[in-house]
Amino acid sequence: MTDPANLSLVEVAAAIRERKLSSVEVTRALLARIGRWQPVLNAFVRIEAEEALSAAAAADAALRGGTTLGPLHGVPLAHKDMFYRAGKLSECGSKIRKGWVAPATSAATARLQGAGAVHLGALHMAEFAYGPTGHNEHLGPARNPWNPLRITGGSSSGSGAAVAARLTYAALGSDTGGSIRLPAHFCGVTGLKPTYGRISRADTMPLSFTLDTVGALARSAEDCALIGSIIAGADRLDPTTQGAPEWNMAATRRPVKDITVGVPRAYYVDDLEADVAKALDEAVATFRKLGARVVSVDLPDQTAVTAAAQIVLGAEATSLHSPWLRTRTGDYGAQVRARLQNGLAYSAVEYVEALRWRGPALAAHLAAIGDVDIIVAPASRAAAPTIEETDVGAGPHADATIQAMTRLMRPANYLGLPVLVVPAGHSGMPIGLQLIGRPFCDETAIALGRAFQTATDYHRRMPELP
Amino acid sequence: MPDEVTAERVAAIAASARIPLDAAAAERVARTVNPTVTRFFAEKIALPMEIEPASFVVVAREQAER
Repeated sequence: MTDPANLSLVEVAAAIRERKLSSVEVTRALLARIGRWQPVLNAFVRIEAEEALSAAAAADAALRGGTTLGPLHGVPLAHKDMFYRAGKLSECGSKIRKGWVAPATSAATARLQGAGAVHLGALHMAEFAYGPTGHNEHLGPARNPWNPLRITGGSSSGSGAAVAARLTYAALGSDTGGSIRLPAHFCGVTGLKPTYGRISRADTMPLSFTLDTVGALARSAEDCALIGSIIAGADRLDPTTQGAPEWNMAATRRPVKDITVGVPRAYYVDDLEADVAKALDEAVATFRKLGARVVSVDLPDQTAVTAAAQIVLGAEATSLHSPWLRTRTGDYGAQVRARLQNGLAYSAVEYVEALRWRGPALAAHLAAIGDVDIIVAPASRAAAPTIEETDVGAGPHADATIQAMTRLMRPANYLGLPVLVVPAGHSGMPIGLQLIGRPFCDETAIALGRAFQTATDYHRRMPELP
Repeated sequence: MPDEVTAERVAAIAASARIPLDAAAAERVARTVNPTVTRFFAEKIALPMEIEPASFVVVAREQAER
């Protein structure tokens, strides 16, 4: 059998369930790999080897006794260090929460555990999930497995690096302004940022309650579909999920000939590096070949929705952090402190107007796209830059760097749209594309991504240990 | 169109929130945030009085029923 670490989430879950591999074998294989890669990547903040092996042994014993907990029985996973586990550390990439023990378990983690997953450890993240590059002044930067001198993207930096290096089969991440999609793009993995309100954020560290989403980084669209089927759905502790439609696994296999793909005429296609433009063109050609209808679309001005997103994010993040801004301001990294201070600039009227415009802005977006199911767009104008060139701290280039990095991200957060990022090119470093869906049509984005991954192999490419 | 975001305004909001912010930081914040606020208000959004933040949920959920 191939190295278990190279299997996808769906494949390894089936292998364990069918007792072709034991959970202990699989967990040992990942731990061995983590031992080799961690000094290079800084992807983990805590590795819980003993607990993981003990849980894996229990999973194997249960299986031998005829008990299967669920579709992830015995599968080891690691998650961004902001998904709380009752009684366990959750330090959120910060000095302020150093040593903080979570009082409850996040809904997403609990559902994965309920499905049988084994917990491997906690992953690196930007401080309080407020950074798009993967830098962290307290932890040092996470490093990209394709080239450790380059960034992972953030804020789910460890999730992107660990999935790409095959240190975990999937990882939870959060996305408030690109924090799943940027690491997916830069690290060459598949990332699902769900519709706002589709997946519970209960007992997960908040950044901006209007924009926060919980999703997954994994090795394929099919893996994201499996994770979605487990963690999506109503949760009484997150009122935004009340009344949302149930996950429709059949729709993740929707025929591509029934999908209309829109290619934006502007904004997302402006000023792209040649390799990103080429990846976009080739993906569009692949969608056509797979049977999709492809049309051009004129989206409303994305700079306005981006500005609205920044106002909402700035005001909410600063509000959430206001107690520590009053008492522990020196304990933030310089860039995060500066960004939190930026939120002090917005008046109450500006904030509420930005909130109130969200519905009309979504209606305008939907009117503009007509019957388009999926908008295909780059995740960034370029592949991963170096850690050094983006190490701007709170200096004079900080804001420009952050704006450039997140330029193609914020509209989907403000409009609450689902996005699947799929690896779609490689120029020494991976290139991902966003498949941006309609609200609560996450499954359609996955269906298109799944079909794309039957026709391409970018998601199967693996970095080698330098 | 609102007034330009000034350091004085930032300092006043910080003071009202009881968050310490020195003058240099207030200057930096004003400089950084001004383009965002200016861009948002350049849209000349005229929202009906009946629109509230939760109106977004209505628009999004219509798609779920589509």
